[in-house]
Amino acid sequence: MILELKNIEKSFGEKKVLTGVSFKAESGKAFGLLGRNGAGKTTAIRILMNVFPANSGDVLVDGQPIDYNKVGFGYLPEERGLYPKKLIIDQLTYFAELKGMSRKSAVKSVDYWLGRLGMTEYRNKRLDTLSKGNQQKIQLITALAHDPNVVILDEPFSGLDPVNAMLLKDVVKEQIAKGKIVLFSSHQMSYIEEFCDSIAILNNGVVALHGDLHDIKRDYPRDRLVVRTETPDAIAADFGDACTVTEGGDLIIRLSDPSQKKAVMARLVETYDIDEIKVYEPSLNDIFVEYASNATKED
Amino acid sequence: MKQFGKILKFELKYFFKNKVFVGVTVFLVLLIAAVMFFPRIATLFRSDDTADVTDDLPVMLVKAHDPSQNEMVRQTFAAAFTDHDVQMTNEELTVIQDAITAGEAECAFVMTSSTAYTYYVENLSMYDMNAETASTVLQQLYQMNAMIHGGMSAEQAADVMNIQITSDVQSLGKNQMENFFYTYIMIFALYMVILLYGQMVATNVATEKSSRAMEVLITSADPTSMMFGKVIASCLAGFIQLVTVFGSALIFYHLNRSYWGDNIIIDSIFNIPPTLLLYMLVFFLLGFLIYAFMFGAVGSTASKLEDINTSVMPITMLFIIAFVVVMTSMSSGNVDNTLMTVCSYIPFTSPMSMFTRIAMSTVPWYEIAISIAVLIASTVGIGVLSAKIYRVGVLMYGTPPKITTILKTVWKA
Repeated sequence: MILELKNIEKSFGEKKVLTGVSFKAESGKAFGLLGRNGAGKTTAIRILMNVFPANSGDVLVDGQPIDYNKVGFGYLPEERGLYPKKLIIDQLTYFAELKGMSRKSAVKSVDYWLGRLGMTEYRNKRLDTLSKGNQQKIQLITALAHDPNVVILDEPFSGLDPVNAMLLKDVVKEQIAKGKIVLFSSHQMSYIEEFCDSIAILNNGVVALHGDLHDIKRDYPRDRLVVRTETPDAIAADFGDACTVTEGGDLIIRLSDPSQKKAVMARLVETYDIDEIKVYEPSLNDIFVEYASNATKED
Repeated sequence: MKQFGKILKFELKYFFKNKVFVGVTVFLVLLIAAVMFFPRIATLFRSDDTADVTDDLPVMLVKAHDPSQNEMVRQTFAAAFTDHDVQMTNEELTVIQDAITAGEAECAFVMTSSTAYTYYVENLSMYDMNAETASTVLQQLYQMNAMIHGGMSAEQAADVMNIQITSDVQSLGKNQMENFFYTYIMIFALYMVILLYGQMVATNVATEKSSRAMEVLITSADPTSMMFGKVIASCLAGFIQLVTVFGSALIFYHLNRSYWGDNIIIDSIFNIPPTLLLYMLVFFLLGFLIYAFMFGAVGSTASKLEDINTSVMPITMLFIIAFVVVMTSMSSGNVDNTLMTVCSYIPFTSPMSMFTRIAMSTVPWYEIAISIAVLIASTVGIGVLSAKIYRVGVLMYGTPPKITTILKTVWKA
């Protein structure tokens, strides 16, 4: 299954929130929707889930307009919260029932997930008696219990301790393995990098970058070298402005002519005492900052 | 539709699991039980101490202008003031005043001539009618004396003065004396239920929003189903509560019927004509729905619970005004005045005013039909509009938007 947003336009009143937004997500793969605060991620997600319609543009499944009766969505919103005063089992089955499950299968599925996330002991407790992290795990069940085709997780790892984060990672991998579309929205780039095969970066309501994460990284201009050495000062003096020092003490050398890469590397190794030298691979963080920070200039 | 059923069930369950809801209902039933069983319980304690009641009556001193007429004056006063122990006195004024301040007597009439008197009392109550009664008594005495002087015998004069008029009142329409009490109770119940449950709907919606449960809900269920499920669940809960309270009152009344004797108020309350109950049902449902929809819509625009009180103010005011108009007209006795007639066609006021007019006056069927038709149409209209406001409102955070902003957004959506 391929889920696709095509040329989505949306404005609230005078304010244009999304402009020609298009991206694709595939079954059995995780997709990362990135963007700074207020870039339009939540709006895009809401349009995708049919909370409100777009002004124009389409949501397509395998090229056909989406049928919301057939495609199930599970959603963990960034703004967490359920009914604080109600019993956990009551509200979880209620949400699963609203998603179309029968009462019996809803209870069964909720019980499975409570067990899977180690929350069975809280089954008959009120939500507000739980810690924040545990409440988040409960909320995760609302996104998964009805076995949706598309799982949308907005900042799923925020507020989780390392053990729970591991548990969630396993669950996410399991969902991907089951052939679901998992759509991530997060500011924690390391998680996105770990899971997502493809990403889209939203910037001021426009898709600034979209595609396979490996391709993006490969296509990134390979015009920088990372050098670890015992004599950084000498090299820095040699390259002048083209050389910067990272926080870790490594040197980054920007090449004026990328075709000279091999020659420069050979010269460095010959001239200086070099521990390690490689072509600089951008991290997702670097890519994000580069594509999303343009916004500040426009704001 | 499937979702609506699930939401309705979930929301109803919330009411029946709510300790306050159950507690209030039980409390009301117990209170009514206490009231209805009171005469029966009272008889258990009332033994044979019914004799010598006169001992406890407050003393009224009367000083006649002419001591020779003492007996006649005493008899007439005693006949007029059955709730006082009338005693004649010939003491000086100061002695009489002392007796009153000392509490030996409650009040005193000191006559200065056959047509003038001074009334002495320690604290003059707002409802003290003794002076008026005394004036009438003295008038009668004067007229009797005049007749006796004119040649009539004392008996003849007394007959003339005490002539009894027999009368029979037949109301061809409604008898306001009978229906006042049950109309009052029903209007009051309507008022309480709509206001309480309406606020509850608003708070309920705002709580979902402020706890952010709405974020998941809005992606799980259609907002229209959510709105209608919530409103109709609280309507049912309110209705069930009313039926429980009034139903138990009816049962308790029948259990204790003989002890209530012929108490007019109680009799009239429990002999409401069935057609009126039907009207009550119609106006309760429609009135409840139209207000609950508005409360729900307003609740959806508030992002914090604290905002609710100010947000619902216009609706509450509207409703209170309707209530005051109805109550004032009821106590004035003229429920068909222009204001009430106009109000009985305005959907927000008609549930109370039209119902009052039907209960306490005679309203042509077509007026009722028009009023109900307008109310049904408006309820549906408000329901649809509210669902639209709700759809927009639940996703708005921050300061509550102006009503014009909301309507604009709804119009565009």
